[in-house]
Parts: sequence; structure tokens; C-alpha cells
Amino acid sequence: MQIPYEVTARPDTGLYNAKVGIWLFLASEVMLFGGLFSSYVFLRLGADFPWPFHELIVWPGFVNTMVLIASSVSVVAAWASLKARRYGWYQFNMIFTIACAAVFMCLKAYEYYGKFTHYSLKFTDGSVISGHPLHDPKDAPGTTHGDHIVFGEVKSIVFDLEKSNLDFLDGRRVKKDGAPYAMPGEDDELKFKTPTGADVTLTKSWLKEKHRAFMDARADLRDEVTALELKKPSPPHPTRDDAATKAEKDDKIAAISAGIERANAAFLEEGKQKDLTATLKLDVVGDPLVFLVKENTTMRYGAAELSYRENTVLQGKLITDAIQFNVDLIDLRQAKDHDKSLVWKHLPELKQKFTSYRDAQLKEFSEKRPKVKEPEKDEDAQRDAYRVVFDDNKEKFLSHDEAHEYLHDTKRTISVPRAEKRFYSNFSPSLSPYYAIYFLMTGLHGLHVVGGAIVLSWFLFTGRKMYLSNPEHLANRVEVGGLFWHFVDLVWIFLFPLYYLM
Amino acid sequence: MSDTPTHSPAVTGDHAAAGHGHGDDHANLAKHVRIYLIIGGILIFMTGVTIAVAYLPWFDFGDKHINIAFGLLIASFKVSLVCLIFMHLRHERGLIYKVMLFAMIFFAAMMFLFCLAYMDPIQDSFLKT
Repeated sequence: MQIPYEVTARPDTGLYNAKVGIWLFLASEVMLFGGLFSSYVFLRLGADFPWPFHELIVWPGFVNTMVLIASSVSVVAAWASLKARRYGWYQFNMIFTIACAAVFMCLKAYEYYGKFTHYSLKFTDGSVISGHPLHDPKDAPGTTHGDHIVFGEVKSIVFDLEKSNLDFLDGRRVKKDGAPYAMPGEDDELKFKTPTGADVTLTKSWLKEKHRAFMDARADLRDEVTALELKKPSPPHPTRDDAATKAEKDDKIAAISAGIERANAAFLEEGKQKDLTATLKLDVVGDPLVFLVKENTTMRYGAAELSYRENTVLQGKLITDAIQFNVDLIDLRQAKDHDKSLVWKHLPELKQKFTSYRDAQLKEFSEKRPKVKEPEKDEDAQRDAYRVVFDDNKEKFLSHDEAHEYLHDTKRTISVPRAEKRFYSNFSPSLSPYYAIYFLMTGLHGLHVVGGAIVLSWFLFTGRKMYLSNPEHLANRVEVGGLFWHFVDLVWIFLFPLYYLM
Repeated sequence: MSDTPTHSPAVTGDHAAAGHGHGDDHANLAKHVRIYLIIGGILIFMTGVTIAVAYLPWFDFGDKHINIAFGLLIASFKVSLVCLIFMHLRHERGLIYKVMLFAMIFFAAMMFLFCLAYMDPIQDSFLKT
């Protein structure tokens, strides 16, 4: 079917149809992003935490701004080239535009990666540190465990035959070549003894078989109990039933109830004999096991027992639940008493340095802004004085080498017990509403970049035939694609200052 | 295969980049691309100014809200350039202005929607609590 007015203008609108369509679409996009910008303003004005100001690294955002502006120039130049029937220039400009989109997304991925591997830890007293949990250092692999709970000396594991799975085995570690928490080999078998004394090699298929057998047995029991329940007479009526009927009914109900109890008891007894109980305890054969456990996979844990969310229970000993952390920033803006901050328990050598730094910063602020009577309460002064970035360009707090040591050397790793932790997260949407809206808006914008690049690539790689038969049609298509691309640029022009500069 | 289209240049619409002959087309193309490059340069320069306003001590007005206002003003100027030059809103058909006006009214309304947070008749606004 021929779509009308693809090339020539429609008499009533004076525009070809695709152009009307794209402007209607852009109008809806304005409203979509308008809602998100409104959410940003709302979150910022109502934030009950210090809003991250000048915290994002500017250069990736700046480069991306230049990249998008350059692509805006090239996409409109591509359209103009088609209008002038310069196909070679059109191709060049389109390739440049798509390359810009690729550069933009690569930089965005670089930024996102940095945020997902950077962590923030808030203490119970409101003090905040950021950095990253310790991972296996190159010189001593397997000696550390970052932010995992270490649960060792595991001699028994209790499975819930309905819900348990073996995902927790991914966290199992063994001593190997001097490393206490090395990954076990693939051929490493886990041998257990069941309550009946049977020897078992723990595998997924074994657990699956047990799960099926247990569920089947339980379904059989349910059928049997249902059948018996259906045979029960109605309860004796206090006035309508005579004494004999009442006695007969009572006897029958008692007999059936006893039958149900017997069926349940038989199910439990048979289960015990076949190792098909709702919770099945397996005893480790050989050396006790060690597990590294992510906190978010646990239901609860104590000194001798750890329960996973899927109901599997490890019985052993809690080795440590401390978070091993390398620090690159201290932020005491939300701490009530700087001198008693929990940070100094772990970094006592920096307390005096911080105090001097803070006082100097407050003094500098007072000199710079004498109108501010109480700089301690001023938001900007607090940001300058109570928040120290270790690797600051001006080396105001620590030298570059010292900052590097704090962030990367295991000598400087601190160990924070989870009892001292109020919140712990990487710089992902879970960290604060700021990062939630940051990822939402930049992510949605990034999707627009990808979508636009796909459409422009389509025009580039499939456009030659249309150019030769109807170049104006292709020019119109590129114009429409270009209009969308400019809109993507427009959104970024606001996003960049809002998130990186303000 | 030749890159020469079977149709002669058909310049339609009201914001054609090219003229009616091939020679004119090429001259116009160069002219338009030059304009686009100049605008691109201005946009990049203004981005640099935005960063300067946000970070350089020369622009320390003693209140960061002034810097924020400046930043948004520059961003609005940049957006205007993109709309007028790259998106050809300088000379578009009336229908498009109507559609965009409608969208801008909604945009403006949404930018003030958060004010509803102040309209709690029972408690103080969230800013005061």
C-alpha cells in the first residue's frame, strides 16, 4: 500500500506526514522528560540528606556533550548533503553521527562501571565513608573476602526439601596453596551422611530427586487425608440428633481423625526411613566446610547458624561478618559528633588531620563569605569542610601517594563490623534518590541514543536504493531521524549541568 | 553503481538546504554546513562557559543558586539554538508550533507539579519538617 504524502507536503498541513508524526512524538517525549525533570526538582528540594553537588566526574560528561553536539551538526549536515544530492557526504556524516553515538555510549558505560564498583558505607552514627570492599589482592589471592560474611567450620547443612537449592554452593571456599578462601576445583565432590546413615554426594540432580520424591509423598498424603476428611459425617447437632446418633457420629469422626493422624505419622515415619523429611540434615563427611556469603542472600545469622533466604541452614561457626574496606572519602556531614565518629575507630591516624583540615576550611569559608554568620550550619561550608576526598587534585588532605595507599593497599584496609553499619551499597540506584533519578534519566537518555543510532544506521545501510529511485524520500526520512537525534541532544544539554555541575 | 539519483533534486518544504541547480546545491550545502559548524562551535563554547560558571572562583557569587540559575540560562540558550537552527524551528509550519506549544504548556505545568507538596492542609510542608 502506498502511504500518501511521504515526499510531498499534504495540502492542509503543509508538511509531509512523517514530519507531523515525528513532531507529535517529540511533543510526547517533551512531556515524558518534563515529568522526570519535575521529579528531579522534587527530590532535590525535599532531600533529607546532603544532595551530591559537584560529586560526579565532569570530564566524561563534558566530552559526551561535545560528542552529541558534533553528532547534531553531522546529522543535519547529512540531511543537507542529501538535499544537495551529495551521497558520499551523506554517508560520511551519517557514519560520523553513528560513531559519535558509539563513543557516547562507551563513555556512559565507563561512568556506570565506575559507579557500580564504588561503594559507600554509612555508620550507625551517620558518618559516611566511600571506597571499595577489598577483593583478592594480586600478591595474596584468597586471603581476603571483601564484603562477604565468612561462615566456617560447617559440619551440617539443613535443607528444606521444598525450597532449598544449591546456589549457596557458589560461595564455598577451600584452602589451597596457602590461600584460605580459594575456589574449589570443578571435580571437588561434597560427601555427606544422611540421618539414616546413607552416604551421599551432593549434586543438583540428587537434590532434585529428593525434592520430587518428597513432594510426591506429600501429595499422596494430602490425597489420602482429603479422602478421609470427605468420609467424615457432619458434626452431631445439639437438638436434632438423638443421643444414639450423636454417639455414632462422634465415634465415626474420632475413628477418621485417628486415621488421619495415623496417615500423618506414617508419612513422617516413612520420610525418616527414606530421608524424605521436610527439613533434611546432612552431616559433612571429612573436613568442615567454609562459605563466603553475601548478606543479601541471608535471612538471619548468628554465632552458630546461618539461614539463607531459600531456607537452607548452615550449622557451624561465624568466622567474621566485618566488611573489609579501603577508603577514599570521609563525609561527616550527617555525623552528630565529629570527634566521636565511628570512622576514627578504624582510621584513628586521620582524626587530627581531619580536625585541622575542617577548621582550616571553615576559616577559609568565613573569610570568603563573611556574611555567613554560622559557617558550621551552611550547606556549602559543610561540604567543603566536613567531607574530605582523599585523592583531591590539590592534595589538600592527603598526598596523591597516601590517597593511593588508602584505596589500594591491604595495609590500609579497615574492618567494619556489620553491627556498626547502617547502610552499605555501591553507587547504584539503591544508594540514594539522587542516584535513582540519575540512573533513571541518564539510562532513559542512553536508550534514546541507542534507538536513534539504530534508526540512523538503518537509513545509512539501506538507503542507497531509495536514494537512486527517490532521493527526496530518503532526505525526508533522514530529516525525521535527525529531528529525533536533536531532541536527544536537547535532553542532554539539560542533563549535563543538572547532574554534573549543579 | 552510480550515485546519481534518477530524479532531479526536488526541493520541497519550506526550509530546503539546497537550491535548484547542482552548482547552487553544492554552494548552498557548503554555506549551510558552515552555519551548522558555527552553531556547533557556539554550543561547545557555551558548554565550556557553563563549566566555568560552575567551578571557577571568578564566578563565585556567594550563593550557588545564582550559579545554578546561570547554568540553566545558558542551557536554555543552547537549547534555543538547537531548536531554531538544527531543528529548523525558525521557519516551520503553524501546526508544529501549535503541537509544541501544547507540549510546552504541559512541560511547564509538570515543572511546577512538585509545588503540590506544599499544599498539605494538615501538616507543614515537607521542606519545613
